[in-house]
Amino acid sequence: MSEENWIEVGSTDSIEEEDLIRFDHQDKTFCVYKLTDGFYATDGICTHEAVHLEDGLVMDDEIECPMHQGIFNIKSGEALSPPACEDLKTYPVKVDNDKIFIKID
Amino acid sequence: MKNNIIILGGGQAGIYAAREIRQNDSKSNIKILGEENLLPYERPPLSKDFLLDKKKEEDLYFHSSDVLKNENIEFENISINKVDFENKKLFAKNDNVYSYDSLLISTGSENKKLTLDNNLKNDIYYLRNLEEAKKIKEIVSNKNKITIIGGGFIGLEIASSLSQLQKKVIVIEIGNQLMGRIIPKQIADLVQNTHIEHGNEIILNKQIEKITKKNGDYEILLNDNSLIETDFIIAGIGSTPTVKLFENTNLKLDNGIVTNQFCETSIKDVYAAGDVSNFYHPFYERNMRLESYQHAQNHGICAGKNIAGVKTEYTSIPWMWSDQFNLNLQLTGICDEYDEIIERGKDINNGVIYFFLKNNKIRGACGVGIIGKVGRDIRITSKLTEKNTIVDNQILSDQNLKLNKLIQK
Ligand SMILES: Cc1cc2nc3c(=O)[nH]c(=O)nc-3n(C[C@H](O)[C@H](O)[C@H](O)COP(=O)(O)OP(=O)(O)OC[C@H]3O[C@@H](n4cnc5c(N)ncnc54)[C@H](O)[C@@H]3O)c2cc1C
Ligand code: FES
Repeated sequence: MSEENWIEVGSTDSIEEEDLIRFDHQDKTFCVYKLTDGFYATDGICTHEAVHLEDGLVMDDEIECPMHQGIFNIKSGEALSPPACEDLKTYPVKVDNDKIFIKID
Repeated sequence: MKNNIIILGGGQAGIYAAREIRQNDSKSNIKILGEENLLPYERPPLSKDFLLDKKKEEDLYFHSSDVLKNENIEFENISINKVDFENKKLFAKNDNVYSYDSLLISTGSENKKLTLDNNLKNDIYYLRNLEEAKKIKEIVSNKNKITIIGGGFIGLEIASSLSQLQKKVIVIEIGNQLMGRIIPKQIADLVQNTHIEHGNEIILNKQIEKITKKNGDYEILLNDNSLIETDFIIAGIGSTPTVKLFENTNLKLDNGIVTNQFCETSIKDVYAAGDVSNFYHPFYERNMRLESYQHAQNHGICAGKNIAGVKTEYTSIPWMWSDQFNLNLQLTGICDEYDEIIERGKDINNGVIYFFLKNNKIRGACGVGIIGKVGRDIRITSKLTEKNTIVDNQILSDQNLKLNKLIQK
């Protein structure tokens, strides 16, 4: 796997715990989360209708869409509650020197 | 023990109940009887993305027939027209008889119809089901000036969709604001402005006196003697619970089927859930009837648990949404019991929320904003309401302060 796929998102203190930031790269939007056990990343747009999950609520390991309360597991991307039924894509995250990187395929 | 469980009404509450029963009871026969010849499907897109062609029929179904088959849930397309609670039997038009040990009634609600003296019954369209949505979609494709009678959620959603399809839309509302008294006037006005900005005409405080057909088009006479010419009419003037079937039975009815917090009706082994039920809410200590997606789902699940013998109180804080143009409106809790109202935000681009408090605790809230802007705060509000949190009004009213600070873990 090539190194270039790891994209720098920002510093680890740019996200509060149990919160997220939106990260745009080229024409794609991602959400990067800080949970109690580390950092995670998913697609930034709900799979139900095109709304940004950056405005959603992070609770434990879940992100809840601000539009119709569809819920996804942040770690697996699994759609947990309707009207969301399609899973959310997740991405690997690593931290290096207090910087967060996500791997985009 | 193996039971015969019948679910009367194949909508959202019915399907969620059926699957929940199966989760807790692998043996009983579960049969859904539905008069629409369709597996249970989502209604919210009918007035929005389905009209806009952004969602197709196949996107609307909750589950495929495979899911039902795997879980051994039977679905039969049949309309029931008589019930005998004493002998636990349901009768269909074609003389079929269905016996049950437990019955869930989830017949939903139906649209109120306009009372018109002349013979225009078939000229006015209503929207409740997929068939009607298909018909409306087909007909509007060659109509230009469309009148919506009734400025409630469904009427306004249709108005928003048709405007996006480049139609000239007029909404006539009898009240002095859109969406009834349940929505704060300020929020109704913000929504109204958005409709006007998109070219829709909104007429408030007017009643229909007469509708006349002229060369295939219509003339609507209002009570101030003004005349509207239009080539298609859709009415969305509210709905009533579907209870006609039970009117001459012992089942207790009062604005729907009266149920307790366990979805139990006045008759043993008979349960009700979703739009049709006027249920007791232990948190608010009163009965209420809701027509919302989240409620149909959660109430169905709760009924399913109780039918399967897992005694469960229904305590969900009410929540619903409406999408019109680029706006998302959300309502949580109840907004008609309060001693204080607090406003958060003024600009629709950042979201505007009104909180309704009683004794310093939130009872409900209503918000509107550009898509995505009120959801998180409304969700946190539901949690604060549920937990009976005494809230700091300063935080509620200041959009720069995050509401999740108020949640006590
Ligand atoms: C156009 C539209 C848009 C909506 N948009 C939103 C929204 O944006 N947000 C939101 O929160 N909610 C919305 N709702 C409300 C939500 O869809 C309903 O609250 C929900 O569908 C109720 O579920 P239910 O199972 O109680 O009833 P339903 O889904 O209505 O199902 C009842 C079923 O029972 C069947 N039935 C009735 N009588 C009989 C009989 N005698 N024999 C056999 N079958 C029978 C009916 O045909 C129907 O299929 C909308 C509703 C409509 C119609
Ligand atoms: S847009 Fe996310 S649940 Fe509908």
